[in-house]
Amino acid sequence: MAILEVKNIVKNFGKTTVLKGIDMKVEKGEVVSIIGSSGSGKTTLLRCISFLEKADGGEIVLNGETIFDANAAKQLTSAETRKRQLKFGFVFQNFNLFPQYTAFENVVLAPKLIAKERPDFKENKDKIYAEIEETAKQLLCRAGLQDKFDNYPCELSGGQQQRVAICRALALNPEIMLFDEPTSALDPEITNEVLKVIKSLADEHMTMIIVTHEMAFAMNVSDRVIFMDDGVIAEEGLPEEVLKNPKSKRLKEFLSNVRM
Amino acid sequence: MPLRPFLRGLPYMTWFLNTFLPITNDLLVGFRATVKLFSLTLLFSLPLGLLISFGSMSKIKPISWLVRTIVWIIRGTPLMLQLIVIYYGPGLLFNMPLMERFLAALVAFVINYACYFSEIYRGGIESISKGQYEAGQVLGLTKTQTFFKVVLLQVIKRIIPPMSNEIITLVKDTSLARIIAVYEIIWSAERFIKLKGLIWPLFYTGAFYLVFCGVLTLLFGYIEKKMSYFRS
Ligand SMILES: Nc1ncnc2c1ncn2[C@@H]1O[C@H](COP(=O)(O)OP(=O)(O)O)[C@@H](O)[C@H]1O
Ligand SMILES: [Mg+2]
Repeated sequence: MAILEVKNIVKNFGKTTVLKGIDMKVEKGEVVSIIGSSGSGKTTLLRCISFLEKADGGEIVLNGETIFDANAAKQLTSAETRKRQLKFGFVFQNFNLFPQYTAFENVVLAPKLIAKERPDFKENKDKIYAEIEETAKQLLCRAGLQDKFDNYPCELSGGQQQRVAICRALALNPEIMLFDEPTSALDPEITNEVLKVIKSLADEHMTMIIVTHEMAFAMNVSDRVIFMDDGVIAEEGLPEEVLKNPKSKRLKEFLSNVRM
Repeated sequence: MPLRPFLRGLPYMTWFLNTFLPITNDLLVGFRATVKLFSLTLLFSLPLGLLISFGSMSKIKPISWLVRTIVWIIRGTPLMLQLIVIYYGPGLLFNMPLMERFLAALVAFVINYACYFSEIYRGGIESISKGQYEAGQVLGLTKTQTFFKVVLLQVIKRIIPPMSNEIITLVKDTSLARIIAVYEIIWSAERFIKLKGLIWPLFYTGAFYLVFCGVLTLLFGYIEKKMSYFRS
């Protein structure tokens, strides 16, 4: 059974329809890359999945449970939305780290706040915090940031900031990671350090949806590639098929433009 | 001690002891009122300004419209006029007894400064990028947690320079309370013109303001430095 099912998602901004009925399924452990030209709706799709944007039509099913239904009689409360949001880890194009916290504090902030809602928080506070800190340390070390724990975001390079942001999302143990062009804001020579971290997650079978302009990376890391064009999924399939043997004229055009 | 220099210095000494010190003492009484007006104004207008800024950013249109109109009126008219209206207005309009002078001045200052602060708060809050709120949201923070744990300190850092300007202006604006005869430092110095024909105590009040503002400038400089460890 698919871990995530997106059914006929429609999203309008004012009079323009940005998503025109998106259907997609993601299997557990699968890595799906989304490519497509700027303005085709890739970001909007990720935002609808992660509740940053409310879709105007369609359904989202996670592990067989409908977590969003645009036609549902009653709206989700903000607490319900919050709970569902935590199933997803979201990595932004421009990191959005919290500038007043160190790398380490950025990673532990949310888990510590959320731990306060646990029924056993009062008795086990020290133990819970110690676990959260241990997890954060492991995540940061694995991302190659072992000597950056105490640095503030302004003291880190773009690549390091994005790696902290990835750790921060992972610290909440999400079921699916969503990446919105994680390397677009970075200088070409440091995109690799971020891509390596994402690749290592793929190797551990983390379920991921990655919007990217890095074709070589998409080829290398994904199980499936989706080409979005003007609010619809225009083509999808294995990376070799989609990237090497594009069928539609639009995808051919797009690929020849990116390769240049 | 050599006698001659001592005798030559004597007139200054007696002037110092018999005139300067008592006048300084009198001015200090006025200065105490100045400081009291300043501190109480801050105490009430800082939080009130935050409330007003929330009002002016409210999604409920009538509320934000009303609040913005009030802010426009308060910022668009002289504080001196507001002092007069608040002191005499209630009596003239509703036949109410006159408020105590200091209280009337405090009310006028609090309203006036809360409106100025609210605009600074609003600017600060609106300058925080949407991405910070969204990052809080996808990390499962509630709106309140996002505001207090993520946004607030960044807002504070951004508003410190404009706030310190406004607060230093407040130090000097307290002298406007004189228009409704609040016994602040300028008023206490002016009495010496009528009483003894002395004008210098009025000039001398400048020193009190300078020292006060100097201390505040140092304080704000210190806070700014304290917060320079991060950039947003
Ligand atoms: N908040 C918004 N308000 C209005 N239009 C938007 C908003 N966000 C995105 N759009 C529009 O939706 C379209 C798709 O945007 P986006 O999802 O960001 O595309 P992509 O990520 O593929 O570049 C664009 O035309 C964009 O201008
Ligand atoms: Mg985008």
